Amino acid sequence: MVSLLGYQISHTYRYHKVLKDVSLTLNPGDCYVLFGPNGAGKTTLMKILATLLKPTSGTIEIMGKDTQQSREEARRYLFFIGHGTFLYDDLTVTENIEFTMGLRGETPSFSMIRDVLDRVGIGPFALQKSRYLSAGMQRRLALAKALLANPNLLLLDEPYVSLDEKGMEMMNDCIREFLKKGTAVLMSSHDRAKAAEVASHAGILHNKTLREIPVKELGYALF
Amino acid sequence: MPYFNIIKWIVWKDLLSEMRSRENISSLFFFAFNVILIFSFSFSMDRDMTLALMPGLIWVAFGFTSVLGLGKSFLSETSNDCLSYLRIAPVPKGAIYLGKLIGNLCLMLMVELILVPLFIVFFNLDILDKLLPLLFVMTAATVGLCALGTLFSALTVQIRAREVMFPLLLFPLAAPVFISAVESTQGVLSGDPFSFYRHWIELLMIFDLVLTIASFWMFEFILDD
Repeated sequence: MVSLLGYQISHTYRYHKVLKDVSLTLNPGDCYVLFGPNGAGKTTLMKILATLLKPTSGTIEIMGKDTQQSREEARRYLFFIGHGTFLYDDLTVTENIEFTMGLRGETPSFSMIRDVLDRVGIGPFALQKSRYLSAGMQRRLALAKALLANPNLLLLDEPYVSLDEKGMEMMNDCIREFLKKGTAVLMSSHDRAKAAEVASHAGILHNKTLREIPVKELGYALF
Repeated sequence: MPYFNIIKWIVWKDLLSEMRSRENISSLFFFAFNVILIFSFSFSMDRDMTLALMPGLIWVAFGFTSVLGLGKSFLSETSNDCLSYLRIAPVPKGAIYLGKLIGNLCLMLMVELILVPLFIVFFNLDILDKLLPLLFVMTAATVGLCALGTLFSALTVQIRAREVMFPLLLFPLAAPVFISAVESTQGVLSGDPFSFYRHWIELLMIFDLVLTIASFWMFEFILDD
């Protein structure tokens, strides 16, 4: 089954058209990297695919579920890491994970949480309030939640932002792990070199439209 | 996923965050304490006058406190874009509403329970034998206020003039709740037989039911669209 099917997605903010007939398909194990200059509409497209924003026109299916007609069902299959970290400042790292997973109907044990936190390098901070984490550590925590959620479709909006070199390596390792398990990953990024390490497909969002490019072209000037 | 679990997680998160930060409860308490203090120094009343004015004073204090408390209910969801997570969480949005409603209700009742002894002390009230019916009226009215306040908090959280819009929306629609609450409180404090003010209590409970059901139904559209 196709993990993500976006067909002729268009979006207009009041009178400003941002996306025009954008179509893309992701199969299980695909990693599609979205590039584009600032303001090209990458985040808008991500939000539309994450069901946070309704497109002006077009249809989206996640694991065969239409996001307009079966929104809640479609949402079960996806996990979105956006610019916001979705963290509650007064809850600890562990509690934040418990809450996120609790809303997904899962209750991971403390050892499972501890393992995944160690995996992303923030194990020693498990009992610390999330307000005391740095931006990079908050990103790692968001990734830990995604690892536990084990979604069919993972949407990452600029995942390398705030991460140090080791963090970026760890992010790519985790993406590879997701791909191996059959998760489809769609990410937007400005870091072409890092994204090229995991990308199976790439596209440029420019002048409101999406143009697919070969991954090997990522080393050249794109727009 | 059972509704109950989602409600439980939302209530757990809200109360735990509040207990840790004490941001809301402390500001609510000090605001209400000031209102009581000002009232107590403004009026020098005999016993009859006190009993006549007390229901109004109690609900003015609770009403303004609820605006302050309920208005912030969804504000905590805006930091780190948590509101977006609630929107895309694969759960029925009505369960999120009920969770937030119960969290708000706990918080408001906690503040009210602290304020009742202050009213007794500052106004020298002799109402110990009427505490149970008074608490019942307070709870019933607070359910109605929280039902509306939770909905309007979600509605206004992302607009710039939310501090203006929230009371503008809440007070007119909560007027029936306030009127029923004041009349019921009057009946309780005056020591009238229950049958004298029973219809106000019934009205209050009908409002609770209608407001909760209507808000529960509308919440999905507000959060998702």
